Amino acid sequence: MTDDDTTNGRRTYRRRKVLAGLGAAGAAGLAGCGALGGDSGTETGGAGRTTDGEDSVGAAFEEFRGSGPLAEGRADVGGTRIADLPNLSGELTIYLGGGEGGLYRDLLARFERIYPDFTYNAREAGTADTANTIISEGAATPADVFWSVDAGSLAAVANEGLTASLPSEVVDPVPDEFHPDDSWVGTAGRARAVPYNTDELSAEDVPDDVMAFPEVEGFRNAIGWAPTYGAFQSFITAMRLIEGEDATREWLRGMLDAGVTEYNNEFLVSNSVADGALNAGFANHYYALRVQAARPNAPIDLAFTSGDAGGLINVAGAAVTAASQNQDLAFTFVRHLLSAEAQEFFATRTYAYPMVGDIPPVGGLPPVSELNPPSIDLNELSNIQPTLDLMREVGVL
Amino acid sequence: MGPAGGFGRLGDLLDRDDDQPRVAVVLLAAGVAAAVLSPLIWLLVGAAELSAAEAVALLTSNTTGDVLVNSLALVGIVTAASVALGVPLAVLTVQTDLPFRRFWTVLAALPLVVPSYIGAFAYVSAFGPSGALPDLLTDVGLGAVVPLLPTVYGLGGTALVLTLFTYPYVFLTTRASLLSFDTTQLEAARTLNHSYPQAFRRVILPQIAPGVTAGALLVALYTLSDFGTPAIMRFDVFTRVIYVELNSFGVGRANATLLSMQLLAVTAVILALESRVSGDTAAGYGTPSSVKSVVSLGPVRWLAACLPAVVSVFTLALPVGILTMWLVRSGPGYSGGGLAFRPEFATNSVYVAVLTAAATVLFALPVAYYAGRSDSPLSKVVERATYLGYAMPGVVLGLALVFFSSRWLLDTFGPGAAQLVYQSLPLLVFAYVVRFLPQAVGSTRSSVLGVDRDLVGAARLLGEPPRGAFRRVTLPLISPGLLAGAALVFLTTMKELDTTLILHPTGFTTIVTYIWRVQEAGYYGRAALPALVLVAVSGLSMVPLLRGRDDD
Repeated sequence: MTDDDTTNGRRTYRRRKVLAGLGAAGAAGLAGCGALGGDSGTETGGAGRTTDGEDSVGAAFEEFRGSGPLAEGRADVGGTRIADLPNLSGELTIYLGGGEGGLYRDLLARFERIYPDFTYNAREAGTADTANTIISEGAATPADVFWSVDAGSLAAVANEGLTASLPSEVVDPVPDEFHPDDSWVGTAGRARAVPYNTDELSAEDVPDDVMAFPEVEGFRNAIGWAPTYGAFQSFITAMRLIEGEDATREWLRGMLDAGVTEYNNEFLVSNSVADGALNAGFANHYYALRVQAARPNAPIDLAFTSGDAGGLINVAGAAVTAASQNQDLAFTFVRHLLSAEAQEFFATRTYAYPMVGDIPPVGGLPPVSELNPPSIDLNELSNIQPTLDLMREVGVL
Repeated sequence: MGPAGGFGRLGDLLDRDDDQPRVAVVLLAAGVAAAVLSPLIWLLVGAAELSAAEAVALLTSNTTGDVLVNSLALVGIVTAASVALGVPLAVLTVQTDLPFRRFWTVLAALPLVVPSYIGAFAYVSAFGPSGALPDLLTDVGLGAVVPLLPTVYGLGGTALVLTLFTYPYVFLTTRASLLSFDTTQLEAARTLNHSYPQAFRRVILPQIAPGVTAGALLVALYTLSDFGTPAIMRFDVFTRVIYVELNSFGVGRANATLLSMQLLAVTAVILALESRVSGDTAAGYGTPSSVKSVVSLGPVRWLAACLPAVVSVFTLALPVGILTMWLVRSGPGYSGGGLAFRPEFATNSVYVAVLTAAATVLFALPVAYYAGRSDSPLSKVVERATYLGYAMPGVVLGLALVFFSSRWLLDTFGPGAAQLVYQSLPLLVFAYVVRFLPQAVGSTRSSVLGVDRDLVGAARLLGEPPRGAFRRVTLPLISPGLLAGAALVFLTTMKELDTTLILHPTGFTTIVTYIWRVQEAGYYGRAALPALVLVAVSGLSMVPLLRGRDDD
């Protein structure tokens, strides 16, 4: 363990139970308060706004906010309201990559209710399947928007030259590292985390250096991972980029020697941690919150490593296809994904990190500014082949 | 496209009075085989992206060797176990006076409606670490036993689950053969003082061997191409490695293609082996088959009923129980509009499965006829060719068809053609036909083998036109096989996942894609209801299909 007399706040959350704050209000960002009160916004183009009925543009903010202990007690948030955005009008075909299709469809249905002239067609599959489908389709793609839960898949499509460059008014609300070259923009963040069982370990037992994990006594024969899961492979890819091939190979071997257990996905990893079958695991942060939402008294908490691959923040994001015939509508649509309402939706229903600074994450999660992710270009996460070769060579896959 | 009209025209072609199939039938059969093999072309195009050195490196890597050994071991075990389970169950339910025969028949076939990935999930939930069984043992004070339990993961668990949920292939094809089997032969053997076991070996077994082999082949190839079970049971076989490769970009897709080619090579070897061992038999007397029991078991009847009962506990009661547990236990998960189950998902599933079953049987008939009537090498090649698509992993087939129907059509015929074909229902049905044709060919062919040509000749002599002879003689005799084939295709289409995800028309949600959606989001509880609906709808469809015979 490192000494910890620093006062920079980066480590302070590690001294309290991150997930203990169920129902504790996160401090609300007040920066965007001027934008509250949805009717003060001025239209910046688009047709005349409909203000009749409940589901008009001034739709109640609370409709987007989730329910349950993690969403309660949240103060008003900042950001740009839907009312301040141009109207959506026309038809979009949206390819959804990854496992949040149901939630995303739910949000899309809300947009349809707000804008009677807007309709969407959505199809979904895994992140890589969808990216590979768009790459196979090439210029023939029916998709206007590719909305995926993994930056690597967005970058893979962008690398084939199939995406349009996003205008500045779309990407401005989002920190630069989450739109590295404007070929896509992050819509919600997912931090790599270490869920651990609070009956077995304390926060201090989890090192803040992921490279030290193979030697941790408390993890021996009691830690789990899901090596076929894309987010885990992105984490190993980041390790390869930061630490180099040899160190990554040694680390993987070390984890195998420490008796790591393989799972099918990270929800199961987090569940096993809560069950006590594991002391700790590797998982995206929101799985532990999901376990906790279902079992409020589960002995599970989150630790984050610092400045290394274990602290990677990957994003769900959206790209507009170069072949789209409706690019303006698609750009406006992406702006809607970054509206206060949509960001609150992601924060309180998928437990993701909002991409817009004015909206805090739920449940006592440390805000992104307190996390210390490694500085790598998320586009490089699409270079996954060497990672697979490495994992296979060691015998992890 | 009315199946009835199609059958009429086919009958016209198929039952001419010459002994060898006519050129038109041969061409038709060869055409079907070529259509089914066409996606292979796109596979080759994909594999061509790799340099020779890379390809050799990948094919000779340690992993690839392990994967090959694992895959072959799994196929061998699952196939042998499925025959050991399926044949006795078929004989018991067709030829003995087992109590509640109809009931056991349905139950023995039903495991086929449980998608194997749901079966695998159920088994992991029941017997896996911190599963229902260890919990139960701990509760009753037998916690000490838990570490002694065999692990569900690896070869053992994968083989167990695949056997339990695929043995019905053997059961159904064997049953269809037994139903088209002329029991007078058996009675003749019995009057010659053969005991039933002797008669079974000398009379029945040669007759039903093609059916058993057809079922065993389906099991073997299903095992090769199934992705869900080995993935959940953590056993490294081809499909799992292919899946991992497909989840990368660039060269990964070419690797996946290369591995798929290797998988298809293994398939080809299995097909070659199978044609070595399956001897074709003399035709039977084509009298209407009898479904009345022929063997009286006496008091052993009730003991014999234990076999299907025990099997059903493990194939049906256990997964349904686990699903119900999920349903009851599911926490206050998120329930938004996008995650709500709608009845139209079920009707979509049924609609596309019915279309596929009809189309597949139509496609299968000329192939089965040609293969059943002719011994030429060409007929063997044509029939075997239809099996290759069945062993292709669904994702690989899906992406091959995406490339063909979007980009290639766009470049060749312009955007109109691509828009017309790509993500259309006919293309999806075509993909299903490619994947499931052998299920219909195998069972139809074994029925065709049982049709006595002299009967057709007699009908023609009595003035029936070919179409009439086909309708009045051949069709009734082969209908058990056709129906079994249609049932198999319907059921497998209902639960197919990989190809459906990639090729479905936008906005066309089926039960299975909905299950995928909610379980990917981590809401297992929400997967329980649609999974039960899937099992129930598929199960209902089995009841009429498992009646002895339809006489019309």
